[in-house]
Amino acid sequence: MNLIAMNFIMIAMILTLLIPIVEACKDNNIWQKMLALSSISTKTSIMILVVSVLRDDWMIGVVAVIILSVGNAGFMLIAHVMKRMRNI
Amino acid sequence: MITTVLGYVFIGIGILFWFWGTSALTTNRSVLFKLHSLSVGDTLGSIAIVFGLLLKIPREWSLLVLAIISLAIWNTMLGYVLAYCSTSRGKND
Amino acid sequence: MIGYLNLMLRLAIWFLLTADFSLANITIGIFISLILPQSYSSYKNPGAIKDWLRALGEAIVAIPQAYIEALQIIIRPHNGEDVIMEQVRPNRTPGLIFLDIFVITFTPKTVVLKYHQEGQYEVHHVRRRRKS
Repeated sequence: MNLIAMNFIMIAMILTLLIPIVEACKDNNIWQKMLALSSISTKTSIMILVVSVLRDDWMIGVVAVIILSVGNAGFMLIAHVMKRMRNI
Repeated sequence: MITTVLGYVFIGIGILFWFWGTSALTTNRSVLFKLHSLSVGDTLGSIAIVFGLLLKIPREWSLLVLAIISLAIWNTMLGYVLAYCSTSRGKND
Repeated sequence: MIGYLNLMLRLAIWFLLTADFSLANITIGIFISLILPQSYSSYKNPGAIKDWLRALGEAIVAIPQAYIEALQIIIRPHNGEDVIMEQVRPNRTPGLIFLDIFVITFTPKTVVLKYHQEGQYEVHHVRRRRKS
């Protein structure tokens, strides 16, 4: 019962993940694209955490927590760089 | 037993939040409006999912609590930075 | 003196990463969080501890409030948006301003757009508006 429920959760998460992926490919405006990409990054790291629970392997979980705690620093940097580029 | 069921309930709520928040991405609204719904969807939904995992597996509470804290702080800061950078040059859309 | 937020954040991350409450580990954690480099401004003006406690309390209250606002947005669509200016409380140190911005941005109905040096936040709201 446990495994079936977790598989079902994973399927639902993958389906939800498809929405921002399609959006990121479709959008032309750069900020809309950034929003979609940041949504993808949060979702995938949560999915890694769920997979680690599903497989009962905490090495994967540690990786997910490290990804979460290092965070979206790269995204913030890119946002600032793009703002500077516009101002020049 | 009851905590396991409660954990599944929280994960389900989180996935519903995800779905609602990201479905706003497909509409034709401004970046800021989408940012509001993404802060519902991604931040609060993910916190609900991790909380559900925490109820299911309380053995690894320290890592999961760290995940919740860093999720809240980083996603909120990213929202602020995106809002600031996307509007500071005047109009946007 | 050291910034309270800095110290608390470092100790919290240390204990959550190690999950070990032996005396040796507590000593190492406090030592490391004191010895790590920090910005100069937090030496001069750490801010009153009363303000810190109140700001942390607000941050904890913000979590259930965020969920309530999320449910409100989901159940009844908020379609209007507008920008208002909000006054910053006097005598805020940079760390406290950071916490204020965090609380405002964390709740789904409001996002801080910009912090003006003169002491104002520019806050973006979503509102409920009748279709007309």
